[in-house]
Amino acid sequence: MTKKTQSLAFANLIASLIFIALGIWGIIQMLNLQQVKDTYAQPNVFPIAMITGMLIFSVILLIQSIIKLSKMNLNDPMVDKAESINVIKDKGVQGALIVIALCVAFVLLFRPLGYVLDAAIIGFIIMALIGKRNWVVMVIVSIAIPFVMWLLFFKLLSVNIPMGPLSFLKDLIAMI
Amino acid sequence: MDFGMLITSYAEVFTSLQILLMTFIGALGGILLGAIPGMTATMGVALLVPFSFGMDLIPAIGLLLGIYCGGMYGGSISAILIHAPGTPSAAATVLDGYPMTKRGEAGRALSVAMFSSFCGGVIGALIMTFLSPLIADMAMNFGPGEMFMLAFFGLSVIISISGKSITKGLMSAFLGMFMCCVGLDPTNGIPRFMTVKQTGLLDGFQFIPALIGMFAVAEVIAGVERILNGKEHTASSNEKITSVLPDWKTIKMIWPNILSGSIIGTFIGAIPGAGGDIAVFVSYGASKSASKHPERYGTGIPQGVAATESANNGCSGGAMIPLLSLGVPGDAVTAVLLGAFIMKGIQPGPMMYVSELHTVYKVFAALMLSNLCMLIVGCLGVRFFAKIVSVEKTMLYPIILVISLLGAFSINKSVFDIGVCVAFGVFGWLMNKYEFPLSPILLTLILGPMCEKNFVRFMNIHHGKIFDIFQSPIAMVFLVVAIGTIVFSIFNQRKINKREAEARANGGSQE
Repeated sequence: MTKKTQSLAFANLIASLIFIALGIWGIIQMLNLQQVKDTYAQPNVFPIAMITGMLIFSVILLIQSIIKLSKMNLNDPMVDKAESINVIKDKGVQGALIVIALCVAFVLLFRPLGYVLDAAIIGFIIMALIGKRNWVVMVIVSIAIPFVMWLLFFKLLSVNIPMGPLSFLKDLIAMI
Repeated sequence: MDFGMLITSYAEVFTSLQILLMTFIGALGGILLGAIPGMTATMGVALLVPFSFGMDLIPAIGLLLGIYCGGMYGGSISAILIHAPGTPSAAATVLDGYPMTKRGEAGRALSVAMFSSFCGGVIGALIMTFLSPLIADMAMNFGPGEMFMLAFFGLSVIISISGKSITKGLMSAFLGMFMCCVGLDPTNGIPRFMTVKQTGLLDGFQFIPALIGMFAVAEVIAGVERILNGKEHTASSNEKITSVLPDWKTIKMIWPNILSGSIIGTFIGAIPGAGGDIAVFVSYGASKSASKHPERYGTGIPQGVAATESANNGCSGGAMIPLLSLGVPGDAVTAVLLGAFIMKGIQPGPMMYVSELHTVYKVFAALMLSNLCMLIVGCLGVRFFAKIVSVEKTMLYPIILVISLLGAFSINKSVFDIGVCVAFGVFGWLMNKYEFPLSPILLTLILGPMCEKNFVRFMNIHHGKIFDIFQSPIAMVFLVVAIGTIVFSIFNQRKINKREAEARANGGSQE
């Protein structure tokens, strides 16, 4: 038996409320936007039209979800169940959140550590997280792939990528 | 048209070893560059222009066109294999290409993409050869009103790519339009949804980091989740590729999609400011609407891949039309090509068809040769590219992530863009989880700025009289076709939902 709060209709209801809140915030922002002289289309006209569209369909989804929830038979096996986002019970969600945290760390450490070190660290941790246990392969792959990509971008495509403590490699490669 | 000169020009191009070699190198480089998420054909052409300085005109143009055509196909490789479109023009290829890979048909999807790209490119080149002055005249009648309606027509396919719920698809689309409004207003420079201190957002959300985030990063997050929940095996796929080209049965199945995609691609490519990224969605929507089984689109069918890939390569021929006929570049790649022509002392434009007809025909031949080289490199590479999916998932996901994040950085060399990519990745993961389609957001991120810019221009030119737009026959044609598409898509979607409900009910009653 599916609880109403576990159904897709309930998830849609929450999503529509989030969209409505976002839309109201957007409209308030646009109504307070600076006006421009000598133009037939103010800078807020297009955004307001688009946000209004979003609000209309969000309200439609809200109504559809409320009707579905009110008519829902909890014993019906055909009820669409929403995917879990339970951080405590769901291992998958925990893993996904770790990957997101690693991505955020990657962004913050990109300049100080440089691409190769930064990518090697997150690559290695994700491999370990999802069950790779051949440590030698893990170390080689997590270092080799970012290094080859850096080499490709630096040497062939002339894209300068931060290298942090490994910046000496740029001079070394330039000499070769 | 001087057929004698046309045949001589083709013969000269196809028998010159230097042109053959340069075009082949270009196609190889283009495919490899296009396959890297974030590296576009435009970048490839821009990077290799300096190498073409010392060459004669036609080998140089062959090299650049090889990159252009190869890059268009290359983008589909990563879209099909790892859910990360290498270029914006491959964004719609993921819709059916990746499900095919998941079903163990990566080789078939790649061969269909390659064959369709080749056919699209050849048909585009043929249309360019025979109809370029005619199409160029029509393309030059596009003012802000027509461009606005073209964008509206592009947006009309949203319902076709919305998936199960039209309401959710339209919510996603309007959210995408809302996102396009972040940054400086394109006409007056007024900051919207940001402060002037947030310099990273001045141009709004960059499209390519957003694309990489919503597809590649979101797929990695979802993949890790599936593996840890035991819903996905970490073992590699061992698909054996028996043929590098699609079999006759598949070709018979996809040829109408290739034909319509190529024509749509060439036509949209010929309009300055519109390109492969728009054409692929329009072609996909048209193909789905015309199908007897629209419910199969998005589940991994060759027709979906063929419709998008033929359209984006058809664009390469289309984009050359205004360049050669009028001297007006249709997109960034043709702008670089225009530079290459001028450097060699040739000014593209109407007079080129009078004074340099031989050169014009050689350019047509070089485009045809580029497509042929792309097919050869593609055939040689299919088995190699398909090996990517044989890498264990425990290694593949981290590799996709680190390459994708680098791709996001490489566009503007901005760490902020990596942040945008990650944010869109999380957003894409959540949207997928709760069955909000991502393709409408992608389409609106492409068309939103075009729509707003031309709307404001039109309003200012016509002193705020929006109804003046009905005086333009081209705009009216787009409006009527767009309304027709919307009505037809709603009807189609209802049919799909009804069939799915019946299938579920039958399944339920059998249980």
